Amino acid sequence: MRPTLIATLTAALGLAAPLAPASADPARLLTYSGVFQDNYTDVVVKPFNAKGAAKVEYVGGDTSASMLGQLRTQKNDPQLDVVIMDATTAALACAEGLVEKITPAMMPVLDELDPQARSGGGECGPAVTFDHLVIVYDSRAVVPPPTSLRAMWDAKWRGRISVSAPPNIQGLALTAIMAHADSGNWRNADGAFRALKDLAPSVQTFDPQPDGYNLILNNTVTFATGWNARAQLYHDRSAGRVGVLLPSEGTVFQINTINVVKGAHNRDAALAFMAYALSPTAQKAFTERMYYGPTNSHAQIAPEAAARTAAAAENKARVIPLDWNEMIKLRDSWNQRWRREVISAATR
Amino acid sequence: MSRRQAGWLLCLPALALLTLAFLWPMAILARMSLNETSESGMLVETVSTATYVKLAEDAFTWQVTRDSLVLSAGCATSALLLAYPMALFLFRTRSRWRNLLAIAAIAPLLVSGTGRVIGWLAILGDGGMVNAALHAIGLPTQHLINNWTGVRIGLTESVMPYTVLALLAGFGRLDPRLEEAAATLGARPLRAFWRVTFPLTLPAVSAGWLLAFVLAISAFVTPHLMGGGRVFVLATEIYDAATQTLDWPAAAALSIYALVLLLVLMLAHGTLSRRAAA
Repeated sequence: MRPTLIATLTAALGLAAPLAPASADPARLLTYSGVFQDNYTDVVVKPFNAKGAAKVEYVGGDTSASMLGQLRTQKNDPQLDVVIMDATTAALACAEGLVEKITPAMMPVLDELDPQARSGGGECGPAVTFDHLVIVYDSRAVVPPPTSLRAMWDAKWRGRISVSAPPNIQGLALTAIMAHADSGNWRNADGAFRALKDLAPSVQTFDPQPDGYNLILNNTVTFATGWNARAQLYHDRSAGRVGVLLPSEGTVFQINTINVVKGAHNRDAALAFMAYALSPTAQKAFTERMYYGPTNSHAQIAPEAAARTAAAAENKARVIPLDWNEMIKLRDSWNQRWRREVISAATR
Repeated sequence: MSRRQAGWLLCLPALALLTLAFLWPMAILARMSLNETSESGMLVETVSTATYVKLAEDAFTWQVTRDSLVLSAGCATSALLLAYPMALFLFRTRSRWRNLLAIAAIAPLLVSGTGRVIGWLAILGDGGMVNAALHAIGLPTQHLINNWTGVRIGLTESVMPYTVLALLAGFGRLDPRLEEAAATLGARPLRAFWRVTFPLTLPAVSAGWLLAFVLAISAFVTPHLMGGGRVFVLATEIYDAATQTLDWPAAAALSIYALVLLLVLMLAHGTLSRRAAA
């Protein structure tokens, strides 16, 4: 398919972003906007630029899906050099030849990474942040603090639960955790769907707007699914009102990988930035700022920050070894089961 | 240059714009719908009707189609019932506030769709103004958002200003002397309305309903934000396929399907309207 064809389609689907003219310097980094952009710029991008060897310009993106849309659009003339996106989406970019394959010979820092960081990115870019699924709750209402997912099944929270259902990956992650707790195998989800069907009447929304953290803060719900890093941020900002639970049933990683765009105009600067982003210095700085788990095993994280991420040994032991590339193959089937067995049991 | 040639020449800029802004992207969309998505989610460039076949074989596609049609028809009818008396009043009144009232009727159009929906969430939420009022007077509270009820309310409100405008435009051809003649001949106001006024406004009613229906069936923001993940319509399915599961061929095929469905319905409406007029 010709590039113009894809470009026009992308525009028709609303995925296109303003294109910037190709430039030799600085390298253009595309990743999440909002608080991620603010904090990543402060503790990773600015220190890298201050070193002076190369420069990076942050381009705020929306979702990983929209970032993949931009990469597809620009396949024959990339306007971006580095992309940080969700591992499942990055795997598609890798398979479609939109990002480069990376080897330890090219990037020695790869040998310092956690094995899951390498496997999370496949042959292309490795994991640059680990996050994990948590349950967030209103700590003023839920006393004592819950320890298990089962707290949400208590009838007194009827209508006070928010669950991001598939195709949102939070819903897929929740299903996998419950399947693992029920059968010891995250792929065997029959028991999980039975339990979710029981929970369904208590669910106020399967698509929280704007998100579960804010719904707790404006007293719309009491429990919600969430990601640890954002949850920790809201916990601090709300003076502890947003409670964060890593359930006794376990959790799963959400992995962001860092990738160099194939045919990048500023490849050298992109590779230099990738090496810096994966270094112990940058990993420590970002983990201590935003509580994303570090992917570099050599990063010396302050104990109080580590305890709030999956890096702490106690938390890491509860991470279920879920393969997101395998999950993608189950996604359609689980999505349909959610609609037919869970959401349909939750009329309001 | 003949008048015919001049006519075509004058149409040329509009035709060029239409081709560039609508027909060409639609052609691209149609081409994308013939690609496939692999089991791993990868976009496979090919020429195949497999995506259409998969959608046609999925009972969920038909359920979503049925739900979209029922929702849109219901909202268009509700909007029409609410807009008709308002438009008739605005058409007949000689008040010096007439223009101000007309602007008030279409004022929701001045606010972004997302902003309006957020307003509805605050008003209709479980702890919102309506439920607070119900609670205060001792009545049971109601679930008014995150379900079909919320989407029906939000969509009806969002299409109603367009219905008012369509009705006002149609009422322009209403001759007040006919109503006066009916009254002179002894018809009471209600009888004069049903026997004279209403039949004469039917073309405007038909156009207003169709406009509301088309807007409702293609609406995305309201079902997405007020449905609470329980409301699945064609527009939300296209959004999910394009941005969540990254199944662009499915998103494109559903878009083409929705377009064809709408064209068929509009043609049917046009044929029925012509027959009724004859």
